[in-house]
Formats: sequence, structure tokens, C-alpha cells
Amino acid sequence: MAHAADAKKALDSRGYTGSLIRGDNPLKLFEKPVRDRIIESYYWKEQCFGLNAATLLDRAIELTFIGGTYGVSQRPTPFLCLAFKMLQLTPDKEVILFYLQQEEFKYLRALAAFYIRLAWEKDAEVYETLEPYLADSRKLRRRTREGWTLTHVDEFVDDLLIKGRICATTLPKLNPRVMLEDEDKLEPRISALGEELEELDADDDGSEGEVVEVANGHANGNGHPEEDGDNDADMDAD
Amino acid sequence: MPPKRMTANRDRSHRYFPGKVEYAQDALSSDSENSDAEVSSAHQPAKPSLPKATSFPKDARLAANLSKINLDARRAQAAAQEAERLKREAEARAKEEEGFVTDDDNDEDDGSRREQESGSEEEEQEESTSSEDDVPKRRMPAPKFISKTNRKQHSVPVFNEEELAAQEDARRKERADEMLQLQLEKQAAAKAAGKKDWDDDEEGLADEVDDTDDVDPEEERALWKKRELLRIKRDRDAIESAEKEREEIERRRNLSKEEREAEDREYIDTQKEEHEGKGKMGHMQKYFHRGAYTFDADDETKQLLNRDIMGSRFQDDARDKSMLPSALQIRDMTKIGKKGRTRYRDMKSEDTGRWGDLGVRDRRKDGDHRLDERFLSDGDAERPGGTGANAYAVGERRKRVDDSRDGRRDDKRPKYGR
Repeated sequence: MAHAADAKKALDSRGYTGSLIRGDNPLKLFEKPVRDRIIESYYWKEQCFGLNAATLLDRAIELTFIGGTYGVSQRPTPFLCLAFKMLQLTPDKEVILFYLQQEEFKYLRALAAFYIRLAWEKDAEVYETLEPYLADSRKLRRRTREGWTLTHVDEFVDDLLIKGRICATTLPKLNPRVMLEDEDKLEPRISALGEELEELDADDDGSEGEVVEVANGHANGNGHPEEDGDNDADMDAD
Repeated sequence: MPPKRMTANRDRSHRYFPGKVEYAQDALSSDSENSDAEVSSAHQPAKPSLPKATSFPKDARLAANLSKINLDARRAQAAAQEAERLKREAEARAKEEEGFVTDDDNDEDDGSRREQESGSEEEEQEESTSSEDDVPKRRMPAPKFISKTNRKQHSVPVFNEEELAAQEDARRKERADEMLQLQLEKQAAAKAAGKKDWDDDEEGLADEVDDTDDVDPEEERALWKKRELLRIKRDRDAIESAEKEREEIERRRNLSKEEREAEDREYIDTQKEEHEGKGKMGHMQKYFHRGAYTFDADDETKQLLNRDIMGSRFQDDARDKSMLPSALQIRDMTKIGKKGRTRYRDMKSEDTGRWGDLGVRDRRKDGDHRLDERFLSDGDAERPGGTGANAYAVGERRKRVDDSRDGRRDDKRPKYGR
């Protein structure tokens, strides 16, 4: 079913018998107009036909940019087409983690992160899996509607966790981290800065420049002095 | 000279139709048709020698000279040539029918003639189909025995024009093939180099954004640090604002009622000040609404949301519309001069209702003494009993005459006395 020449039948939810994501056809995570653009694109028709997890890996390695749709005619990027294919294939968790852990190919990592954010239903898992990659500072080329921009892996992952809409898809609802922390499902985030952060916090004088002031949790926008001592204790890394 | 048949179609007279009688053509008409590429060699004998006198008169007196031209002579000449040619062809055909003509006999004759003809033909008919040409003239060269010594000498065969044409065609095809081959190779190379078929935008634009890592590790690390710190700050700010809100709620609960009210009043006052600070709506000013829908409110959008729309004035805006003539005192000045403009100004001026003090009524009551009761306004005549026909109490009814004699009891009409 997944490899019919014309995938339109496969996208019809009526006869769908595969695995469900959030109770529905995984392909429904993309909106109808975006789905249509993907299916009609040449990349999908030529390159994404009959892929399995291994051959998808080959394609993903060749990616050179991320993005949603671009241009007047809303052409989908290969990144988006491959993500769509992954949703169609719904590979196993191990496979996805393998994709994510590939150090050598950053676009593959971005693709896996995107898939995780879309497909995994347990919020705590999503946070736990994606947060380590906030330390990956490599550059990514991103194709926007009008042109090209530069972004980074950590920025992309951060957008996935915070924003509501990215790469032409509305991301499914994710509970904010604070809520999960309050419910004790998650520990507060341990930043990759770790020790440096503690040092910066300990530093009270703001004369070191903007970056330090920003990091200093005591400085609020209103300039009020800190009210509780407890704040810091919660946030500081262990 | 118009073509003989007065049509735009090509002359197909070079086809051989068995049994068709071929007429000798006029010398003049055949000249004009010679320029046509389709004229076959069948009609054309060996190139005629140039006439000794031109048919074109040298002086301008064409008419006079025309009469001098003796067409008959030319016709006779043409006919003679034609006859000669026909005779030769007949001979040739007769010879063919006898059997194979040995090469020795024919080589000189036919070869020379063929060359001559082929030469002329090549000049004049490049496009003519060779098959029709060859039917009358073509003769298979008989196999000729060449001794071993002579075999080697025959390295340069004589090609006639058909074979030459074929060779040229072959060469042309080769060249075309080569070019095609080059094209294909180029395409394959481009493909191999990574230019995808499905991607027909210019990928060159992608180069303006460079995603190579480790160009400057220090700088990249610094940038990453900055981003990370911003994220941490964002998280902390969110926590703190939540905390503060909770505290505020706690505090208010702990205050007494009066204190709460005092605070509320303060807040309202500050709000009022803000509103006053914003531009007020002048008299008859057009109301602009900022719109009901917004998406992600980032900082820019928030600023846009909070801008003071009603307080801004554009260049031609009249602040004080009371100075304008009444026709121009409307809210939306863009409607002036356009079709569909109504004279509506605002609800207040169009309202016909009476709002407010109705003490005016009493004065009117007194002023209507002179009027008859029927012409008083309704307000006045609101007597407790009623108005109009209800103004008077119902009096006694007139007695009905009771004439109940026997004969009249069935009368339906009641009779009333005075």
C-alpha cells in the first residue's frame, strides 16, 4: 500500500490499517494543502518511491537544506518530502534514534528530530530525547518562503520544542516543560553549559557585559531585586 | 511568363506514365520550368548549346522586335532535339533488352554520357528524386573480370551522384550522432555532479548561505553560548513571572477589603490617564479598528497591537469639523464625491425620538384653550374615562315600544319609541 505508484489512495484514511499516531493516519499530521504539494512534486515522485528505512537513509544523507514550502507555488523541500515519507513508513524507535545519533550527517539529525517531535506522543520522551541536541551548534541551511537563511541545529531543536508551527506544519501540542516539571515527570533542564553557568550565576557584578547580565537570573526586566532565594536553587544545575 | 498550367501545384510531368503521350514543350516554357527543381532530366537532353541570337532584343523597341522573332525556327529546333533524344533512348532500351551489355562497349559511351548528365543534373537538380531519373538511363554495370594486378589499381571507384549523395547522408548522420553523443555525455556529467533533474531552480542561490562548520570554531562556540544563555534566560523569566503572579494573588487575598478597593481605584486612575494620553476621538472622527485577529504576538506585533490608532491624524484631516459646511461634516471623508453617499451624519442627528426631559408637555396643555375638544392633541384629552367615543358615560337606552299584539310578535325589527 505504501508503495503504490500513485500514493493518493494510500492517503485516504478510510481504509487505513497501519500504525496510528495520536489516533489517526500519520500522514494527517501534515495539512491537506501541504500534502497535496508534496505528492505532486517531482522529488516525491522520483526519489521517494518505494523507499524503506535504509534507502531513506541514503536520500537523507544527500539533503543540503531544511525547510517547509517555498516559492509562490509552495514547492516542498526534499526535507519535507522525506519527513512525509518517514511518516508513511513509521519506522521503529530504534531506527529513529539511530538516525538521530548520527554525528556525521546533520541534516539527517534534523530530519529525525522533526520526526520525533511530530510522531512521538509522550511529551517527556520528546524532551528527554531532543534536549541533548541543544548542544549541537552546527550550521544548517534553511530555505524560507522567499530565500535562504542560516540557522543552527540547536536553534532548530529549540524551535521544535517551543514554537507552534515550523516547516509548513503545525506541530502537535506539547505540554510546556514547566508543567511537566511540576508534575515531576521531568527534571529541570541541565544545560550543556553546566559549570560555566554556575560561574556566571555566582558572578554578581554586571560589568562583564550583556551576556552575563542576561545569564544572571537575578536580573529581571523590571529591575526588581530577587524575591525568593529558592528560585536559584531550583534552576541551578546539579 | 505564367506557368503552362496556371496552377500553384508543382509540375509532375517528370513522372513516367506508361502509355502517356509526351508532348514536346515550347522552348520558352521549358526554359522557365528549368528553374524549377522538380523538372526531371527526362525532358532535358544534354545541355543545349547557346543560341546564336538572343531572343531578347537589345533595344527598347520590344514590340517591333518581337514581331521579328521567328518562333517556328525555335520550335523546329526543339522538336529535332526531342526526336533525337527519343531515338537514343529507344536504342538504349533495345540494347538493354538484348542482354547484358559488356562493359567494354559501354564504358566509354555511357560513362561519358552519364558523367555529362550527372554533372548537369547535379548542377540543376539537387533535390530531384534519383529513382525516377534512373529508370530510363540506369544500367547495371556488368561484372567485369579484373586480374589481380588490376584489382589493386581500382582503388578509387567512380561514384555517380546517387552514391555520392548516400555518402554525404552517411557523413551527416555521423556528425549528428556525434553531437547527440556529446549532449548526452554532458547531461550525464551534470547529473553525476549533483544537479538533480527534479530540481529546476537555480541551486546557485543556495551558495549565498554557507553551512560549512568549523570555519571559525571560537566564534561559533561563542555564538552557541549566547543562544544557550538566551534560552536559559527565557526559561527563568517564565518561571519568575509565574511566581510573581502567584504571589500577587496571595497578597491580595491577604489584604482587607478596603485596601483592595483602594488599589483598584488607583489602577483605574492610571488606566484613565493612559487613555487620555492616547488621542481622543474628535467630533465626527472616523473610527478605525485595529482588527480582531492576530497570530503569534512577537514583540513587533505587540507593539503594533498597542499603537494608538485613533489618536493619529493624517495630513488633510480637519480637526474641527464644525468649521466645515454641513455637507462636509461627515465621519468618513473618503465618501465625499462618490456615488452612494448618503446624507446620514450620525445617529444622534438622525434620531427623532425624544430623550430626556418631558416637562415640556405641561405648557402645551394650557395653550390649547381656544381649540375645540376634537382638535386637541391626544395628550391633553386623556381624561380618566377615555377619549373620543369613550369620553362620555353611556346614557340610558331608549325604550323599545312594546307592542306585543299577537300578529306582531314575529316581527324581527325592534321598534323604538322616542
